[in-house]
Amino acid sequence: MSSHREAPEISKDPVADSTDVYAFVSPDAPGTVTLIANYVPLQLPSGGPNFYEFGDDVLYEIHIDNNGDGRADISYQFRFRTTVRNPGTFLYNTGAITSLTDPHWNRVQTYDVAVVSGGSQSTLGTGLPCPPCNIGPLSTPDYASLAAAAVNHLNGISVFAGQRAEAFYVDLGAIFDLGDLRPFEHLHAPVGMLGAMSGVNATNHLNVSSIAIQVPISTVTISGHPTIGVWTTASRRRVTVWDADRGETVLSGPWRQVSRLGNPLVNEVLIPMGEKDLWNSLPPADDKKFAGYITHPGLAGLLNTLYPGVFPHLAALVAAKKPRADLEAILLTGIPAGIITGFTNFTGPVLADMLRLNTSIAPATKPNILGLVGGDAAGFPNGRRVADDVVTIELRAIAGVTYPLIDSHFKPDGAAGAITDFASDPPAIGSRPIHTFPYLGVPYSGYNHPS
Amino acid sequence: MPSHDATRAPDPVPADRRLSRRSLLRGSAVAGATGLAVTAMGAVAGPALADSRRPSATEPSATDLASGRGEAALPNEPIVVHVRDAKSGDIEVFSGTSQTRLRDQDLAARIARAIA
Repeated sequence: MSSHREAPEISKDPVADSTDVYAFVSPDAPGTVTLIANYVPLQLPSGGPNFYEFGDDVLYEIHIDNNGDGRADISYQFRFRTTVRNPGTFLYNTGAITSLTDPHWNRVQTYDVAVVSGGSQSTLGTGLPCPPCNIGPLSTPDYASLAAAAVNHLNGISVFAGQRAEAFYVDLGAIFDLGDLRPFEHLHAPVGMLGAMSGVNATNHLNVSSIAIQVPISTVTISGHPTIGVWTTASRRRVTVWDADRGETVLSGPWRQVSRLGNPLVNEVLIPMGEKDLWNSLPPADDKKFAGYITHPGLAGLLNTLYPGVFPHLAALVAAKKPRADLEAILLTGIPAGIITGFTNFTGPVLADMLRLNTSIAPATKPNILGLVGGDAAGFPNGRRVADDVVTIELRAIAGVTYPLIDSHFKPDGAAGAITDFASDPPAIGSRPIHTFPYLGVPYSGYNHPS
Repeated sequence: MPSHDATRAPDPVPADRRLSRRSLLRGSAVAGATGLAVTAMGAVAGPALADSRRPSATEPSATDLASGRGEAALPNEPIVVHVRDAKSGDIEVFSGTSQTRLRDQDLAARIARAIA
């Protein structure tokens, strides 16, 4: 998946497990950029009575690097607080929740937002309400309005934190079954006897916990540098002790980063298992030590093994052990000017996995879910929009489609440009994004999507 | 938290609640053997420690400690002592959002005896 359960340790800690990061110029709010960080993966909508929530013991951050050194210049920090109004019932709610202050809502979560910049920390808002989870027509009869009321406007900044519909789409069931892509199943070495078929979106009808913030571009960029690097982190205190006598958890020590996410699929697919949790603990500025896994991706060799004879040009490239400077540019430095006419999101020579967004590029009037490789410079890997098909884009890039950017003599295999997780276009991604902040669709309710 | 480009935000822990040598001693009554971490709320004084704390902009300097400057009140929050290696005396101490690292074989041995 993009980054759901991508590393052994963080897979056991879902409230701190970042799943996706999005960064795009807001299509309906010119002059602003929207940053979204999702956590708590694979939420079954009916997962009560203790429905999903953010961790009160987790520090969530969305970082911006605006000078290309792979370190945060601006960090938006989110801390959550859960209140149980009536500990005498097992129920999440004791009646219909019709407002964010409804007394029938028993387990309420609020949050504080702060920004760290230039060595100082400023509080942007305190006690901001999260919406409840979407339970069903009896408990949350007008969920869309309830969630809309949880969008907070703070002096030119909009923030939201709460459950939303999962927007990332991927055929997990197939792709983790020895790299099977159902549309190409007939070419797969171990299962070649099967016929081609369309992919199945494994994240359909699931929810995530989303943190979204919309800020003026002028507040996150510096003069002459319209491109920003974006990533999210989750941090925990160094020590956790379960005090059984008191029935409470004792937390102590400084915060330590346990989860990180910039570009989708980097830690998931490119970093080896033995280093995934280490990667999660480090800043993008330290990514030079992982660069070899990007410039010599194991998956490229695996494609040749799993689909014998389908990618002969890629096989030759892998055999020649040529570093994939195209992938390095896409994922670690941004694409320099002069490579793609009229486009750059280059941030300098520092190798750092960040979602790079050139904020001077206006939103597309007709977005292409294949983003830059589909001729749409407003989409991934120039930032990432909610509907961008990042799995297809990255698989095609790894298969060699983008290698001609640095070697015009290289001819990608025909199959490389046809790789897709889904035969249908656009794929069935379930809940459609909405067109206004916080953009992710209304979460699925447990009543309507019980399994 | 990840390292920040500019100077980090001020440590949210007030200076009078950060660890000092004396507060550590007060709080070191209960601890664990190698690899064991426990919380400590008690107040039993012990001998002076061979201070080997790492310098940090948010903590009192070694000079401050030696002279008594930077002496902090007993933290209101629990103190957690993690004896990483009793044999070498490698000890970590946590309170609030602070941590310090000690190397004190005597203290580690006393903690190990206490838990035995």
